[in-house]
This record gives sequence, C-alpha cells and structure tokens, in this order.
Amino acid sequence: MEVLSVIADVLTPAHLLAMLAGVVGGLCIGALPGLTSNLGVALLLPVTFGMDPISALIMLTSLYAAAIYAGSFPAILLHTPGTSASAATAIDGFALTRKGEFNKAIRIATFSSVCGGVFSALMLLVIAPPLSLLSLKFGPPEYFMLAVFGLTIIGTLASGNMIKGLMSGAAGLAISTVGLDLDSGFPRFAFGSTDLQGGIGFVPAVIGLFSLSQALLMCEEPHRTIQQVKVTAGGQWRLFPTRDEIRQIRATVMRSSLIGGFIGILPGAGGDIGSWAAYNEAKRFSRNDPDFGKGSIRGVAASESANNATTGSAMVPLLTLGIPGSPTAAILLGALIIHGLQPGRTLFTVHAHFTYTVIVGFLLANLVMGFIGMGLGRYMGVVARLPNSILIAVVVVLSVVGAFSLGNNMYDVYTMMAFGLLGYLMRKGNFSPAPMVLGMILGPMAEQGFRQSVILADGPVVLHLLGSPISITLAALSLLSIVSAGYLEFKRTKAARAAG
Amino acid sequence: MTLNRRVILTAAACFAGAFALAGGSPALAQYPDKGLTLIVPYGAGGGTDITARLLAKDLEGVLGKPVTVQNIAGGGGWTGWGTLASAKPDGYTIGYLNVPAIYAGYLDPKLGRKETLESFTPIINHVIDHVVLTVKADSKFKTLKDMVDEAKAKPNTVSITAHGVGGDEHLAILAIEAATGAKFRVVQNKSTPESKSQALGGHVQVLASNVSEIATEVKAGDLRVLGVMSEEPSGFLPGAPTFKSQGFNILASNSRGIATPAGLPKDVEQKLVAALEKVILSKDHQQKAETLFLEPRVIRGADYAKFLKDNEQDIKKLMNW
Repeated sequence: MEVLSVIADVLTPAHLLAMLAGVVGGLCIGALPGLTSNLGVALLLPVTFGMDPISALIMLTSLYAAAIYAGSFPAILLHTPGTSASAATAIDGFALTRKGEFNKAIRIATFSSVCGGVFSALMLLVIAPPLSLLSLKFGPPEYFMLAVFGLTIIGTLASGNMIKGLMSGAAGLAISTVGLDLDSGFPRFAFGSTDLQGGIGFVPAVIGLFSLSQALLMCEEPHRTIQQVKVTAGGQWRLFPTRDEIRQIRATVMRSSLIGGFIGILPGAGGDIGSWAAYNEAKRFSRNDPDFGKGSIRGVAASESANNATTGSAMVPLLTLGIPGSPTAAILLGALIIHGLQPGRTLFTVHAHFTYTVIVGFLLANLVMGFIGMGLGRYMGVVARLPNSILIAVVVVLSVVGAFSLGNNMYDVYTMMAFGLLGYLMRKGNFSPAPMVLGMILGPMAEQGFRQSVILADGPVVLHLLGSPISITLAALSLLSIVSAGYLEFKRTKAARAAG
Repeated sequence: MTLNRRVILTAAACFAGAFALAGGSPALAQYPDKGLTLIVPYGAGGGTDITARLLAKDLEGVLGKPVTVQNIAGGGGWTGWGTLASAKPDGYTIGYLNVPAIYAGYLDPKLGRKETLESFTPIINHVIDHVVLTVKADSKFKTLKDMVDEAKAKPNTVSITAHGVGGDEHLAILAIEAATGAKFRVVQNKSTPESKSQALGGHVQVLASNVSEIATEVKAGDLRVLGVMSEEPSGFLPGAPTFKSQGFNILASNSRGIATPAGLPKDVEQKLVAALEKVILSKDHQQKAETLFLEPRVIRGADYAKFLKDNEQDIKKLMNW
C-alpha cells in the first residue's frame, strides 16, 4: 500500500513537471562548460522556496543528475567537459567523435549515465542507512590512504609515457599546495596576493586544461572540422546501444557504478574522483583493448556510469546523517533545511513518505533524462561537422563565462587562461593533463588526511595510518597498483624493443 | 503590522526630506531610485548565501526596488570584501560582513590586506550563530567539566575540531585554553560536515561548530551538547546547558551583518538601517530564519561599529596579531 502511494505521489502532474524542469535545466547547465551542477542547484534553490518540499527536492535532485550526465555532451563533442566530473569522458569520447562515431559515444554515455544513476538511486532506496555507517568509518588515516591509492592511478593513466605522466602528476600536487595552509593559516606561495591566498581553483584549472587548450589546438587548423571522416555505420543514431555494444561495456558499467557508488558516499570525494577511479580500473581491465584511451566505448562507459553513480550515493550520508557526500549535496542540505526537513533517521521513519517519494522521483528522473538526452543528441552531431573557426569562438566564450560564473571574479578567468596555455603546451609536448588534474584533486585530501593523522596519532604516525582494516586494505591495493603498473610498463618497453 | 510599516516609512521619508532640504545632495533625495546589489563574499549555496537570499527577497518588499545577490568568492572572503570596500558609497552596493572571518585578512601580518574596518560603513547586524561543543552520544565526557578536566590533566590528548585558523571555533578553543589552562589537539577541517563525520565516526572526541550546524543531530540524539557559548540558553537546543551555567564565562559566536563602503551619506545610511531593521524584525522573516536555526540579532549603526571593534580587539588578543 505504502509503495503504491509513493509511486502515485511521484506521478502527480506537479511532481512530474518539477522533474521535467529539473532535467531540462540540468541538461542545459551541464552541457555548458564551466556551469557546474553546484551552480545550477544553488541558482534554482531560491526558486523552490515557494514550492512544496517534494516538488522542490525532486526538481533539485533531477537537475543534479541531468547536469552530471549532460557534462558528457561537450566532453565528447569538443573535448570540453561540461562539468569537471566529465573530464575523463573527454579522452575516449572525443576520440570517437573524430572517428565519426559521435552518436555511438553519446549513446554509450547516455546508457551508462542512466545505469549509474539508477544504480545509485537503488542504493539510496534500499541500503542507505547501513551504507552511511561505512562512510563514518573513514577518518583521517583512511582518507590519506584513499588519496594515495588514487594517486597510484597516475601509474596506469600514464602508461606508455611514464616519466611525463609522473611529472604532470607531481606538478598537479605542487599546484594544490598553493593557498592558505589549513592548519597554521600560513599563506603558501601566495606572494602577497589575496587571490592566491584562496588557492588555485580546481574547476577553472580543468576548464583551462581541457577546454581552452582544445580551442588553442583547433586554432592550428581553423578550416578543418572535428570529425574528419564520414559518419561510420556504427556511428548512426539509434536510441539504444546494440546488443554487441552492451556486451562490451556490461562489466565496465557494473564495476564503475560500484566504484562511483562507493566514492560518492564519502564526504570528501565526489564525481571528479569517482570518474577517474572508474576510468583507471576500466583501463586496467581492458589490457587487451588496443583502442582504450584512443576511442574505446569502455572508457566513455566507465567515466559516465561512475560520475552518475556518485549523484545518488552522495545523498546517502546527506539524508541519513546530514553529512553531504559532494559539494552539490551540501547545497541540497540547505534545501532540505529550508523546507523544514531535518536530515537524519527521521527522514526514513517519520518522513518516510517524503523521502521515498523524492528517491523514486530521482530514479525516474534518471530515465527521463536519458530519453531527452538521446532526443537532443540526435541533432548535436552537427557541431562536429562545423569548421573549427566557428567552434573556437564558442569554446573560448563558454570557457571565460564558465570560469567567471564560479565566483564572479576575474581571478578564476586568469587561472583558466593560464591553465589553457599550459594545457596547450603540455599536449603539444605529449604530456597528458589527466595526471595533473588527479594531483590537484587528491593532493589536498592526502595532505589533510596525513596532517590530521599526525595530530591525532598517540604513538608512531605509521601505526596510526595503518590502524584500521580499511586503511591496511587501501595500502595493500596501492602497493599492488604500483607494482602492476611498473610490471606492465616493463613488459611494454621490452615488447617495443623486441619489435623495434 | 501595516500601520507599523507605514509609520516607519513615513518617518524615514520625513528624515530624508529634512536632509534634502538641509542641503543634502538632491540626487539622493529619492534613495533608492534603482535596484541594489548585495555582495556575498562566498559561493552560491553556502550558509551566508542562503541567509542573503532570504534577506534580499524581504528587503525588496520594503524598498520596492530589486535587490540582486552577487556572489564574489575567493581569497577567504576578501575578494568580495575588497570589491565592497572599493565600490561607490552611494547605498546601492551593500554586502555581508562575517565576524570573525573578516579579521584574519588584515590583522594577520602574514596576509596583509590594506583594507580595515574603517573601509566600511557598518549598517546593521543580521544573524548570530553561537559556538557549541558537542560529543557523540556515547562519549565518556558527560559534562563540560569532564572534558576540561581531562584536557588539563592530560594536555594535548583531547581532540577537537575547528574550521580555519582565526575562525570562530578556533577562537573559542583558544579562549577556553586561556581561561582554564587546558590544552587541546586541534583538528582543522575545511567544512563542518567533515568535522561532523569525524565526530560521529569517533575519529575526534569533541565537535566544535555553530548551533545551526548540529541542532538536527542533537534533536535526533546522535550528538550531545557539552555547552553552548551564548549568554542565554539557545532556543534551538532546548535544555542544553550553556558555558555560563557551568561556571565558564566564555562566549563565542559567528555573526553576519550588512555594511556599505566607507563614506556613505548619513541620510542614506539612516534609510538603509531603517529598512533593514524593519525586514529583520518582521515576524515572517524571523520565522524563516528560525527554520535555518539562525537567531536574528539586530545591532544598529554605531552599536554595530562598536560590536565589530570589540570583536577585533578580542581576536587580536587571542591570536597575538
């Protein structure tokens, strides 16, 4: 009975309309590089003040899911991730577009995003309370070990060009140290500038490294188009992936949804880390796929299913404990409180009808966004056949607007421009920007975890760092990851030498 | 209510008229004759932003002109405050001052902003949010005294969270240390949710935060209050003891108010104070603030300037700046 009343409530016109508005708004925000899901939810929040709580929360969570999904469109089309969570999608997605398989990439991204989103909604629906206890097990030592494990991803990402990859990652770590030191309040590498005291923004850096650098590369060939061949047979538009495509990505989608779902419940990590971690694991498991990194649908599927899987799971600790699992979820926390709902166990008992209606609405929104996205995707391929000279202008304008919109200040725009130039030079010199982005995300997490462990340790710090089963497991995984990356690199160079 | 509004408006209008006749700038006679910009020195969706958007909506109703919230984030708030300080002092650009977050930027010699409190005209305080110490429900600390005693007997063993050097929680901890001789292990986090999860997970022993940030968990029974650092018991935490009621005379809070650039004409200042006071004291606005667990606290004009100055002196002493 209760189940039926929840479903009936989701299907009322007001709630469906709110969902539709959220999905469409999210698709627009996500598809524009630099306009983040945080910004979208924050902008929409005052609009929901006058609504009933269910409509408001359905609208905001739908927008969150759709924005994270739509971030893949420009990533695939233009190598300009619409949200920073889609940066990993750009690698294989853009390569597919160049090969005339834009529609295939969008189809896979849609399918994977929907799968990841639905998976996370089910997590939220079925096992939110016990899962939230897992997120509490993560203290400073666990976060440090998780960050270290994340950093070992660079070893796999950089395979084939280990030295340059490690240099790029180290530079990212170094950049992440700029700004006020949290523990002492000391301004590091700020040189008396208030802007630098606030640190170097991660999102403007990603926009620069991926989007602006792409515009600069396109400047070299102003009269060409992104897609330089005819649309292939596999690149024709169709609503659902073929049976063969699903067979190829099935395992990747499941694994990546799990990874994204897990990363999402941790308060310190969201879609950015989730998508890179899943991309890396997919790469490790696709050793025999020569296309990986050069236009493999597995790469697109990994990143897209993982980042959408973080959306629902980020709400697990939010709803059960009042602890947001991502920056966007933090704004949703404000929304809950404004609408008079206190996060915590009562949401699943006293207010169960509200909570389950919102979750089911969120689940449905994930399906709706897939259909609308595919409908729009059908016409988006045109962009890949426009001359670069037009696209350059569009990308530059969106990059500047996106960077400015983050905090309404020019500093973020200058940061974006500096990283655009850096990204261009790096890509010309065969340095991948991906390890740098990872270094910038994980550096602060590693540093904070380590320094808090030093403060909290009663005996030797090492024992404190390895003081729980979770951190020991993560340490072992890190070691394994480093050894396997080193071994693979060794085998690869040996094979190359034998061949050459 | 309506009568009250009319009286105040009429009074304000008379004041303005008198000033205009007395040779005040005629261009300002009909302030406001266009929309206002409200600068929020932090990103969209944060605590200050949400309160600002509530205020902006209600202020529009009183002034009859649009009030646009502009988030200017960065530099620990100083990108926004710098913009506010350098705006034209005509009453059309107003912004939030956050106490004590604003002090570090110019008091800490390492950071060296050239603006000071004198760069702003303080208008009115909006909300106050007291610091509160809480522990996990099953903590061995039953009272504030238990915690202080242990931190005195075994210095540097009791762990407690804070959010930034010179932030309200950090200042509160320093004040407790100075008053009692206790010594804590201070764990600095970027945000309260991180601290909350560390406290609930048992990674740190004591959670220092603001009342609005933990009222829910206290109600649910996940966290227990050791002491609220306010003069009166908090309405949001019924039955929770204050520091004062346990013999520790220490206050700490975080407050947000409105200011304009320095040099605001007196007549415009009075109009702004009157309009904002009317908004903040309205029943409707108070109810909305209550749902956010925020306590509206009106401190006007010269009193607000003194409040800011007093807080500045306190932080200087605690931080040795």
